[in-house]
Amino acid sequence: MAQPLIKKDDDRDDEAEYSPFLGIEKGAVLQEARVFNDPQLDPRKCSQVITKLLYLLNQGETFTKIEATEVFFAVTKLFQSRDIGLRRMVYLMIKELSPSADEVIIVTSSLMKDMNSKTDMYRANAIRVLCRITDGTLLTQIERYLKQAIVDKNPVVASAALVSGIHLLQTNPEIVKRWSNEVQEAVQSRAALVQFHALALLHQIRQNDRLAVSKLVTSLTRGTVRSPLAQCLLIRYTSQVIRESAANTQTGDRPFYDFLEGCLRHKAEMVIFEAARAITELSGVTSRELTPAITVLQLFLSSSKPVLRFAAVRTLNKVAMTHPMAVTNCNIDMESLISDQNRSIATLAITTLLKTGNESGVDRLMKQITNFMSDIADEFKIVVVEAIRSLCLKFPLKYRSLMNFLSNILREEGGFEYKKAIVDSIVILIRDIPEAKESGLLHLCEFIEDCEFTYLSTQILHFLGNEGPKTSDPSKYIRYIYNRVHLENATVRAAAVSTLAKFGALVDPLKPRIFVLLRRCLFDSDDEVRDRATLYINTLGGDGQVVETDKDVQAFLFGPLDIPLVNLETSLKIYEPSEEPFDINSVPKEVKSQPLAEKKAPGKKPTGLGAPPAGPPSTVDAYERLLSSIPEFSNFGKLFKSSAPVELTEAETEYAVNVIKHIFDGHVVFQYNCSNTIPEQLLENVIVIVDASEAEEFSEVASKPLRSLPYDSPGQTFVAFEKPEGVPAVGKFSNMLRFIVKEVDPTTGEAEDDGVDDEYQLEDLEVVAADYMMKVGVSNFRNAWEGMGADFERVDEYGLGPRESLAEAVSAVISLLGMQPCEGTEVVPSNSRSHACLLSGVFIGNVRVLVRLQFGIDGPKEVAMKLAVRSEDESVSDAIHEIVASG
Amino acid sequence: MILAVLFANVEGNILIERFSGVPAEERLHWRSFLVKLGADNLKGVKNEELLVASHKSVYIVYTVLGDVSIFVVGKDEYDELALAEVIFAITSAVKDVCGKPPTERLFLDKYGKICLCLDEIVWKGLLENTDKDRIRRVMRLKPPTEF
Repeated sequence: MAQPLIKKDDDRDDEAEYSPFLGIEKGAVLQEARVFNDPQLDPRKCSQVITKLLYLLNQGETFTKIEATEVFFAVTKLFQSRDIGLRRMVYLMIKELSPSADEVIIVTSSLMKDMNSKTDMYRANAIRVLCRITDGTLLTQIERYLKQAIVDKNPVVASAALVSGIHLLQTNPEIVKRWSNEVQEAVQSRAALVQFHALALLHQIRQNDRLAVSKLVTSLTRGTVRSPLAQCLLIRYTSQVIRESAANTQTGDRPFYDFLEGCLRHKAEMVIFEAARAITELSGVTSRELTPAITVLQLFLSSSKPVLRFAAVRTLNKVAMTHPMAVTNCNIDMESLISDQNRSIATLAITTLLKTGNESGVDRLMKQITNFMSDIADEFKIVVVEAIRSLCLKFPLKYRSLMNFLSNILREEGGFEYKKAIVDSIVILIRDIPEAKESGLLHLCEFIEDCEFTYLSTQILHFLGNEGPKTSDPSKYIRYIYNRVHLENATVRAAAVSTLAKFGALVDPLKPRIFVLLRRCLFDSDDEVRDRATLYINTLGGDGQVVETDKDVQAFLFGPLDIPLVNLETSLKIYEPSEEPFDINSVPKEVKSQPLAEKKAPGKKPTGLGAPPAGPPSTVDAYERLLSSIPEFSNFGKLFKSSAPVELTEAETEYAVNVIKHIFDGHVVFQYNCSNTIPEQLLENVIVIVDASEAEEFSEVASKPLRSLPYDSPGQTFVAFEKPEGVPAVGKFSNMLRFIVKEVDPTTGEAEDDGVDDEYQLEDLEVVAADYMMKVGVSNFRNAWEGMGADFERVDEYGLGPRESLAEAVSAVISLLGMQPCEGTEVVPSNSRSHACLLSGVFIGNVRVLVRLQFGIDGPKEVAMKLAVRSEDESVSDAIHEIVASG
Repeated sequence: MILAVLFANVEGNILIERFSGVPAEERLHWRSFLVKLGADNLKGVKNEELLVASHKSVYIVYTVLGDVSIFVVGKDEYDELALAEVIFAITSAVKDVCGKPPTERLFLDKYGKICLCLDEIVWKGLLENTDKDRIRRVMRLKPPTEF
C-alpha cells in the first residue's frame, strides 16, 4: 500500500487512526477484482484485492450468487501466477467462497496438480482446499493421494490430510474408514501434532467398536505419546473405556487407574488437569482414588494463570456436589479466591464453599460473601442465592443468619430474575423450616412495600394469604397488605383484595375489620378490584360479624382450581355473552398429555450455544395426529403415552429398526421405524411379524405394512394389539422383519422388476408397567402429597436383596415405575447408607400418583425399601405396589 | 470443536470472525454476547492476560492484544485449557506478523497475513497448527524447519 505523505506532527495521530479499509464498498472491490483477468498479473495488487474481499466477507457482507461465481472464476485465473504469496491467498479465497458443486470442476484440475506437486506446501494446501469443496465422487478420485499424504514425511502435509479426514468422516464415512491402516501408522508419528490429529481421527473411525477403542487405549497407554494435546485425548478415551468396562468388573482394581494417576505427574499442566478431572468423574470413585487428583487441583487453585484457577475450581465445584468431604481440604485456598478478579472464578469458589463448609463456618462465610455480592453481576448473584438456599436446607439451625442475608440483598438494587431467585428462596425456607416462617413473612412484607415488579408483588400477596392467617399474630400483616390497595397498580390491588379476603375467612376475630377494608375497595377505579371486593363481601358472609366462615367458602378461597388453565381459557374464548351465565362445570377437566422429549440420537449433539433451543416439539401431539390419520387405529380413543424409541437392531447393520410403543386405554400400537442402509437394495411390502405368545393378554388386531423402503429414506410400519381396558398388561414380543428385496442398479437408481422374499430377525420387545405411567413432575412435592390426602395411601416394605450400591437400587426402582423424580431426589450422595426419593406421575386412566421411597442399605449390601403410594384411585395405589412386588 | 474465533477493536466493532458449527441465526447473538463480555471485563487488562468464562457446556477464553480483543469459544474437547492453547497460538502469530502488540491500524494493515495465520491455526473448528515459527513458514508455503 502507498506510504502516506509526510505530515505535520499534529496530524500524525489522525493518521494512526486512519483505516486502510475506510470507505470500502463492495461494488468498487468487485470492479477492482477485474485485475485477476489481466494478462500480466500483478501479484501484489491481486493480493491486496483478495485482502479487501476477505475483509468484506469478515464484516458479514454477502455476495450474490452471480457475484460469488464471477469472483470465483476470476480467482481461479490466478493459478497461472507463480507468486507464492498470491497462491497462498488464492487457496484461502477459494475456501472462503465455498463454490457450488457445478463450479468446483473449474479448479479441480489445478488443485489436483498442486496436490501432486513437488513443493510440499502446495500439496498440504491443495488437500485442504479440495477437501473443503469436494463431494463423494471427487473424493474417490483423490482418495489414493490422501492416503499417501497421511503418511507423508512432512508433518504439515500429514496433518492437512488427517484434519481433512476428520471433516470428511461426517460426510463420507465409508471412504474415510478405509484409511484406518494409514491413520494407525500416523498415530506412531514423531511429530506431535500429527500424532494428535491421527489419534482424534482414529478414535472417530472406531468409536462404535468398543473392542477396538479398548485395544487402542491399551497400546497407547503403554507407549509414549509426544503431544500433550494427544495425551489429553488419550485420557478422555481411557475414561470412556473405564466407564464401559466398569459394568463388567465386579471387584478388584479399576483398570487404567494407574495410567490416570501417572498422568498427574506429567509436565504439561493441560495433561495433569485432564487426568485429575477424569479421576473425579469416575463412577463410584473412592476417597483413596480421589485424593491425588484433589491435591493437584488444590495446587492449581493458587496458580498465577486464571485459566488454571478456573478449571480447577470448576472441577472442585462438581466434586463438591457428590463428595463434599473430599474437597474440604481446599477450603482455605478457595476462600482466597473469593476476591479473585475474575468473577466467574470467585462465584465458583463461593458456591463450592457453600457446599463444603460446615455448620460452624457458616457465619464467617456469610460475612465474606456480603462484601463480594456488591460487585458481581446479577447472573452470578443468582447462583450464589441458590447455593445459600441449599445450605440453609442443609443446616436449618442457621436459618437466622441466612434469612437475614437474603433479606438484606432483597433490599439492594437488582433485576427481576435476581429478585425472583431471592423471593423463591425465602418462600422455600418458610415452607421447609417452620421456625423461619414469621421472620420470612415479615421480610417479604417489607419487600412489597417497595417492590417494582408486579409479578413478584402478586406472588407474595398470594403466599401471604395462604400462610399469614396461620401465624400467631395475623393482624400485623394487614397493614402491609392494605397499603397495596392504596399505592399500587390495579393488578397488585386486586391481588391484595384476595389476600385480605383470605385473612377474613380464616381469622374470625379479624373479620369485622377486614369487612371495613373490603368495603372501601368497592370504590376502586378498577373493575377487577371492585368485582373481587363485591365477590368476597358476599361470599364471606356474616355481614362482618365475628362468625365462623362456611366450609364451602374456605374451599373456594383456598382450594385448588381443578381445571387446567388452558382449558378454562379456551372455554372462555368460546363463550359468548348471553342471558345464560358461564358455567365453570362445562370446562373439560382432562389434562393434555405432557409432551415427552424424544431421546436425541447419539452423536448428534446440539450446538450447545447460548441461544436456548426452542422448546421440545410436542411429539405426543405429532404421534396422535399420525395415528389418528390411519383408519385402522382411528377408533382406539385418546393416545395416553408414546415411549421413547427402543432400538431393535445393533448400530450399523443393514437394516436399522427401532420401535415406539403407543399406549391407548384398550390398545397398544407398535410403530416400527425402519431404514434401509444398503444403496443397492429396494425393500417392498415391509412388515414386522410379531409373535405375542409370551404376552397372553394381547391379541393382534391390525397391521399396516410399508409399501416401499428405498435406501436412506426411512419409513414406518405398524402393528396394533388389543388388551384389557385400563389394565397395565405386560408381555414380551418377538419380532421378525419380513419384506421383498429388489436389486437396484446404483448407476441408474432403477430397481429390478423381480424381487425375493426375505426375513431379518429383530431383537425382542417388552411392554412393561412403566409404559403405562407418564412422567409428570410436581413443583412442590410436600404440598402435592398433603393435598392428595391419605385416603388411598398404601404403604409396604420390600427387601430388594443384595445390590451393587444404593444408587443402583434407587435408579432401578425409578425406571421400574417410570415416574418423574422430584426435587433432585434421584441423586444419591455417595457412601450414604439411606436415601429418600420422591416420584410423581400420571397412571393410565389419567390418575395422578405420588410415591415416597425410603431406602436403606446394610453391610452385605442388602437393600430394604419402604414404599408409600398416594393416588386418586385405590386400585391404582394397589397396582403400583403390585408392579414393585412383581418387579 | 472450536465454535468461534473473533477479533474486535476497542469500540467493539468486529474485525474478523470465524464461526464453525454455529447456525447462522445464532451468530449475531454470540457476536453481541462476546463484545459485551469484553466491554464488561477487558478494561485495564494487560496484554495477553487470559480471561475465562463458561456458559452451560461452552467455554470462552479471551484477552487483549494491543488495541484488539480476541475471543475464542469452544466446547467438548476444546475446554478452557485447550482454548488457552489456541488463543496462545493466535496471539503469538499475530504479534509475529505485526512485530508487536498491534494498534488497530497496524492490525488492518496486516489484515491479509492475519487471515492466513488464522487459516493455519484453526481449520473449520479444529486446531491445526500451534507453533508461531512453523506458522510463519507455512504461510509463505515453506516447509517447517524441523522437517
